[in-house]
Amino acid sequence: MSKSNHIRILDGNTFVVSEDTGDIEATPSEPTGLFSLDTRFLSTWVLTVNGERLNPLSYDDLQYYEARFFLVPGLATHYIDAKLSIIRERAVGGSFRETITILNHDEKPVDLELRMDVASDFADLFQVKDEILNKKGEIYAEVEPDRLRLGYRRGSFKRETVIASSVPARYDKGGFGYTVHLEPNEQWTARIDVQTHAIGPGGRDLRMGVRSHGTERLALQQDLEEWIANAPKVNTEHEDLATTYRRCLVDLAALRFSPLSLGGATLPAAGLPWFMTMFGRDSILTCLQVLPFTPELSKTTLRILAALQGTRFDDFRDEDPGRILHEMRYGETAAFEEQPHSPYYGSVDATPLFIVLLDEYEKWSGDAALVKELEAECRAALKWIDDYADLVGNGYIWYERRNADTGLENQCWKDSWDSISYRDGKLPPFPRATCEVQGYAYDAKVRAARLAREFWGDPEFADRLEREAAALKERFNHDWWVADGEYYALALDPDGRQCDVLSSNIGHLLWSGIVDADRAEKIAHHLVGPRLFSGWGVRTLAEGEVRYNPIGYHNGTIWPFENSFIAWGLRNYGFAEEAATIASGILDAARYFDGRLPEAFGGYPRDLTKFPVEYPTACSPQAWSTGAPLLLLRTMLGLEPHEGHLAVEPRLPAGMGRIEVLDIPGRWGRVDAFARGRLDLHQLAV
Amino acid sequence: MADATTRFFEDLDRRGYEPLLAKTSGTLRFDLQEGAHTHHWMVRIDRGNLRVTQEDREADTVVGVSPALFEDLAAGREHGIAAILRGDVTVSGDPRLIVQVERLFPGDPHSRGPRRFFHREVD
Repeated sequence: MSKSNHIRILDGNTFVVSEDTGDIEATPSEPTGLFSLDTRFLSTWVLTVNGERLNPLSYDDLQYYEARFFLVPGLATHYIDAKLSIIRERAVGGSFRETITILNHDEKPVDLELRMDVASDFADLFQVKDEILNKKGEIYAEVEPDRLRLGYRRGSFKRETVIASSVPARYDKGGFGYTVHLEPNEQWTARIDVQTHAIGPGGRDLRMGVRSHGTERLALQQDLEEWIANAPKVNTEHEDLATTYRRCLVDLAALRFSPLSLGGATLPAAGLPWFMTMFGRDSILTCLQVLPFTPELSKTTLRILAALQGTRFDDFRDEDPGRILHEMRYGETAAFEEQPHSPYYGSVDATPLFIVLLDEYEKWSGDAALVKELEAECRAALKWIDDYADLVGNGYIWYERRNADTGLENQCWKDSWDSISYRDGKLPPFPRATCEVQGYAYDAKVRAARLAREFWGDPEFADRLEREAAALKERFNHDWWVADGEYYALALDPDGRQCDVLSSNIGHLLWSGIVDADRAEKIAHHLVGPRLFSGWGVRTLAEGEVRYNPIGYHNGTIWPFENSFIAWGLRNYGFAEEAATIASGILDAARYFDGRLPEAFGGYPRDLTKFPVEYPTACSPQAWSTGAPLLLLRTMLGLEPHEGHLAVEPRLPAGMGRIEVLDIPGRWGRVDAFARGRLDLHQLAV
Repeated sequence: MADATTRFFEDLDRRGYEPLLAKTSGTLRFDLQEGAHTHHWMVRIDRGNLRVTQEDREADTVVGVSPALFEDLAAGREHGIAAILRGDVTVSGDPRLIVQVERLFPGDPHSRGPRRFFHREVD
């Protein structure tokens, strides 16, 4: 799994990152802690026995919300005194709870001084990540007879951590302690409860009791069991695939997130640790990936994003009427408008993708009511595409941030500063338009036309959308085609000049259907050709480009999520072998991460490194990486809703053996799909 | 009585129907508190149909805010969600109502909105 030895447990947007002893000692470079609502509530949590730190024998991360650490006194360099063992069991779910158990294995009684050092810096997640370190408010600690209260106050903004032990403890401003006497073979247990509070002036908690799950361990366990029981079963001779599938289901359960004030509905948060929040793009793409397995996520995601759709012009938040949000945050920097995430709207793909998801969801679920319910939001989204996103006035979606201080420069999925370039490596001026977003807009119009005709009773609107989509496709194929390379440009600059590098974005175009039929084969060849395909997957930027770097965030790494959509696109255009090549590369890579694909890994050729090199600061688990194997399964099995039933047309590589996916939910009830690997990929191997 | 505040509520009442609230029903009371004095605005929403009164009646959601801050919110100078996160606006009861009604407040008056590229060349 991840190279660091950090142990992570989470529930919604409350999570704990600690060392393998269970201790937390946060520094700017060691972002450990107890986090909730984008705020760190514990930055120190260190257990000692008789003044000594503890040494880990082992740990179990039992479920995503609980972990157990087995410890003995003394550091690793000492002789391990096995006459005493300490077990720390912890869980998150509403609050953070830790149970400490000490066992005396000696024939003699022992007297112990136990101490937990406790502190909180109440850092905003953005401060942890960006290492900004001067708090504008006041940090305080209050000792009460039965608890320790740590707090942070800035105006009316107040966050508190309240620590209480089930057995009497001596509390001081820096922690709490116990004096324990243990007879031979006796054991001692204390349960410590850590509550996180976000308090308004009336003393009410900001969260107002809204919770994604029950707060008790049993409720969480039952919830997880139900989640797994409701998902299709995957039986396969391919053991790694079975592991990957189970890992994905559990991680998806863990990444479910219930936004404040929206009634407890859940949607996939983007990823741990930095992105345990609502992201328009990530949540929508994850929902698309997992539709055949956990369709209910789509319904809540669509409803929540619709409820927060932009209604006005707000330059600080890059908000426009009809725009779907990019990111919501709850911490201090959002509250004091030092960051624009309340919510921030600076993405250009979430809006067309919102419509794409609604249409795809209806095809699977038959949920006509939701399509009718969200008609006004879809029309507003389409109006945004035409009226507010076309900054150059030539019928494409462009972006240029209006919040020049804290807004995002690149508002497409490749959102790092240097992701969009010309072949000579220079960066284009703004506004910019990237190719995949034009594909999404095309797809959104085609799909909205179906919704208008079949559900909104507006055939004229449907005709208009189809005409606009056809015109966009024609224009796009003219303006974006790079003649000397025979692929589509990554982007256009405001003068219409092409950013003519070869990039992974061309794969999205197949998924959206905007590629002219006679050009699809060229695109397919590029995607599995040596410049883009590493043997594991498709690189974000082709080898040979000036900015290519195998560990360049968007300039050469391989993103599992993107590869899953590229495979889907290839399959849609009839390139089943090419799709299976990518699918088996990514699923092979998953093996090296125990089934949990990272955000990105290096673009090094597969025969050079023999294993996928994880991108240094990749986020894990991450929702759209978690969704990738599920979409790849769908693609290889050729699962497609067709006239009210589920079509199955498997094209599996020979090495996959037999795969059964049982109880796939949809408008058909539940159906099973069976497949056997027959494709010989050697002819395609590069 | 502050201007933007009264205009905001009178406009809601006059509007009668607000499509952005077509899926929303419930009662929302704004308590504008200053010292011992509290001014109440009651907004009744029935699937987008709106009625505003100045009554102190039980409501599904009660929003507490100072008259000065509300004036800034009603004029678009302050942002409702940020103010809630900051604790300058308190919410009790059903939080969904305020999240929906917050979208009816105006944007920042200094916001220019998206500008077409060809306009900028004349700027």
